[in-house]
Amino acid sequence: MATSAQGGKRSRGPLEGVRIIEMGQLIAIPFAMKLLADMGAQVIRLESTRRLESYRSDSVYQNEIHGEFWNRGANFYEQNRNKMGITLDLGNSDGLAILRRLIAVSDVFAENFTPRVIRNFGLEYADLRRIKPDIIMVSSTGYGFDGPWANFGATGPATEGASGLAYATGYAGGPPVMAEIPYVDYTAGEHTVFAVMTALISRLSTGRGQFIDVSQAQTAAVTIPEVLLDFAANGRAPERLGNADPTMAPHGCYPCRGEDRWIVIAVAGDDEWQGLCRVLGRADWADNPVLKDTLGRFQHRHELDRMLEEGTAPWDARELMEALQAEGVPAGVVLDSKDLLFDPHLRERRFHEVVSHHPSTKMPPLPYAGRPWKLSATPAVPPKAAPLMGEHNEFVFKDLLGMSDADVAKLEEEGVIGYAPDDPRPVQRPSLDEQVRQGRMLRYETDFQSKVAEAYPSPGE
Amino acid sequence: MAAALEGVSVLDLTHCIAGPYCTKLLAGFGADVLKIEPPEGEKGRRMAPFFGDEPGPDSSLPFAYLNSGKRGITLNLKSTEGRDILFSLLPEVDVLVENFSPRVLPSLGLDYETISEVAPHLVMVSISNFGQTGPYRDYKAADIVEYALGGLMYIFGAYDREPLKHAFNQAQFKAGTDAASATLMAVYHQRTTGGRGSGQGQHVDVSIQEAVASGLRDVVNNYTYTGAIRRRQPNHSGDLQRLRATADGFLLPNPGLGGGLNWDSFTEFLDLPELDDDRFRTPSARLVNAEELGRILDEYFIHQNKYERFYGSHQRRFIFGVIQSPEEVLEDPQFGHREFFANADHPVLGKVKFPGAPFKMEETPWQLGNSAPTLGQDNGKILGERLGLSLEQLGALRSQGII
Repeated sequence: MATSAQGGKRSRGPLEGVRIIEMGQLIAIPFAMKLLADMGAQVIRLESTRRLESYRSDSVYQNEIHGEFWNRGANFYEQNRNKMGITLDLGNSDGLAILRRLIAVSDVFAENFTPRVIRNFGLEYADLRRIKPDIIMVSSTGYGFDGPWANFGATGPATEGASGLAYATGYAGGPPVMAEIPYVDYTAGEHTVFAVMTALISRLSTGRGQFIDVSQAQTAAVTIPEVLLDFAANGRAPERLGNADPTMAPHGCYPCRGEDRWIVIAVAGDDEWQGLCRVLGRADWADNPVLKDTLGRFQHRHELDRMLEEGTAPWDARELMEALQAEGVPAGVVLDSKDLLFDPHLRERRFHEVVSHHPSTKMPPLPYAGRPWKLSATPAVPPKAAPLMGEHNEFVFKDLLGMSDADVAKLEEEGVIGYAPDDPRPVQRPSLDEQVRQGRMLRYETDFQSKVAEAYPSPGE
Repeated sequence: MAAALEGVSVLDLTHCIAGPYCTKLLAGFGADVLKIEPPEGEKGRRMAPFFGDEPGPDSSLPFAYLNSGKRGITLNLKSTEGRDILFSLLPEVDVLVENFSPRVLPSLGLDYETISEVAPHLVMVSISNFGQTGPYRDYKAADIVEYALGGLMYIFGAYDREPLKHAFNQAQFKAGTDAASATLMAVYHQRTTGGRGSGQGQHVDVSIQEAVASGLRDVVNNYTYTGAIRRRQPNHSGDLQRLRATADGFLLPNPGLGGGLNWDSFTEFLDLPELDDDRFRTPSARLVNAEELGRILDEYFIHQNKYERFYGSHQRRFIFGVIQSPEEVLEDPQFGHREFFANADHPVLGKVKFPGAPFKMEETPWQLGNSAPTLGQDNGKILGERLGLSLEQLGALRSQGII
């Protein structure tokens, strides 16, 4: 297999020649368009200087929030790799007209605002088709573009709740629990990539574009047949079971040596059970007749959890994982963010990719999450940092749309385009000490920059 | 209008969840998916829950869901004859999807290099726990192991309890979705370089661990930017997006401030004058005074009705969310309006509502398709008609345990 874009000629990706105009915010659309940009699509991301994208203003920053902080937010960089960035004020008729000219030379228009906003701008699919007859438009909304909830704004947790996924998840006997990230925004983004690819392939044979209406709640609901189909067919609503599995035992998360260190173990069959007993040195468990088969272990799962908590506690989590996997027992360290970054497997697969930032940011090159796929013949393009605000105004307006220097200068004068937010209001987060006190962070390190730079040198080095 | 993926032909060697979900997505938009199972049936036929809690080869609910819209044959790939039949099918298809552990197909002589010699145009998609390379390549996994090694589990759950995962099989569904996307990227390349006759094929390597690790927002960036290691839920409930218990369930009273909405209008909507205070007025202040804010909101919402507050909030353009039980999802007016649930008529399950389209496509709508194939359902049709095997030859293959 071709390993990566580093070797040999530079990849242009399978989607070279596809142009996407993105009017996105936060994750659902930006994440999806990032993955398409990684694979060679030209994604031009539209921003407003009037209304600053939240991930530019409410983000993780390296140091104090000052200067052009909006060009230094981690969340923005995480979601917008390999895109171009332009600014346009759509409240201005000239700005809207320029957007229409861009759509006229594009393949896909992607947005995740509410239908009300899109209607107000006159950017519904019927409007776009008059500008570009074979345009593909994708709208990603919390609950769908039509219906009684169409204009209900939503967050990832809200759609996780509406879909039935949150209801099924949580500690035994406790309330529903959701991930600490907007999980369903990613589920929606993943399905959106698939949707856009489906429409692009359809267009190859028919020459026709179309409107794709992604309901984020629906994209979550299709991933839980164990919940929704069990109710539809058997009338049963799931009990929240923590990490327990409806059939496997032991199946859970157990403590290891050190602060907040854990391992997960999932035993499906008798060989795995015997392997687990060997590694933990418990011949008495292995010989216990009531634990010999799956049914017996399942019936005694609560006792098994207590036995395992004692059995795993003295172990180093990674040593235990390696010992268990050597015996064919499915097990994994609960990796924290630092473990994940330095995980030997992910490093060998070059999962996190080093991105160089614009010199004006004074940020060092940093690693960011890559993609879950590797294509042997058409790998991803070499990674480029997310755009500064308005970084590609000149290229897009002059080279792509053929405007003159004077045209562009006039747009800037009139505030239709710009390079900085009109009203920058960053969200100041509490100090790291306070975040540790609140339990939001486990700890923080002060020598992290040298550790990151050592493991992830910049691409030029 | 033809289906979106009409003319995309897929051989489906997958089992359980990640692979079958990938090919289900393709089938739902019109790809021709032929599922190939071992003669005893794939493991997914034994996945709980079952219809009426009665295990049987066609009564697994996840199997019925994941394999609708596909045709099915059986083939013993451990036999020479079985492999020969597989190879004879390859020139006629665009895509082969599999999710065995990475050692399995090479051990059967079905590695990508061999396959690509027979069918250079073929897109071969391999979904695996940790990818086709690297030190964990042969590690065993279950969904919980992918949550742990994908970095999602550490930040999931209460800060002072064991990390938690989502119920059921989210990691595998994520990877299945990603695999469907990657499949189509490679098909797009194949089509734009000449199609089935002369287009360029390739091997696509999808890792379930990486499917999880690619969707963690700022978790890793917290470390690379500030050196801080993100933990689970903080030890207070002051985040505005935090779930709150109501009198009748659970609500996410996230005001979604901005766009003309401000703290004053939020406190007015809740009729909670004690929040009309400088300690809470700005996002920065709320982060500092989170513990007190959480206490006030918890005490307030426990006396509220979840749908009344949910709908009320949206009238004022706040963006509350509501936690719905499966029964509430099935009765939800929004899912109902969009006809999300598909009416299936399954030979074992009978008339039942399946989760339907992940998204709407105006010109080329999603379709549920036929019921999941019974074991070997299309052996005669596919092997007889497509490969021209006689009834006698089919009988011989059957008695030898090849089909």
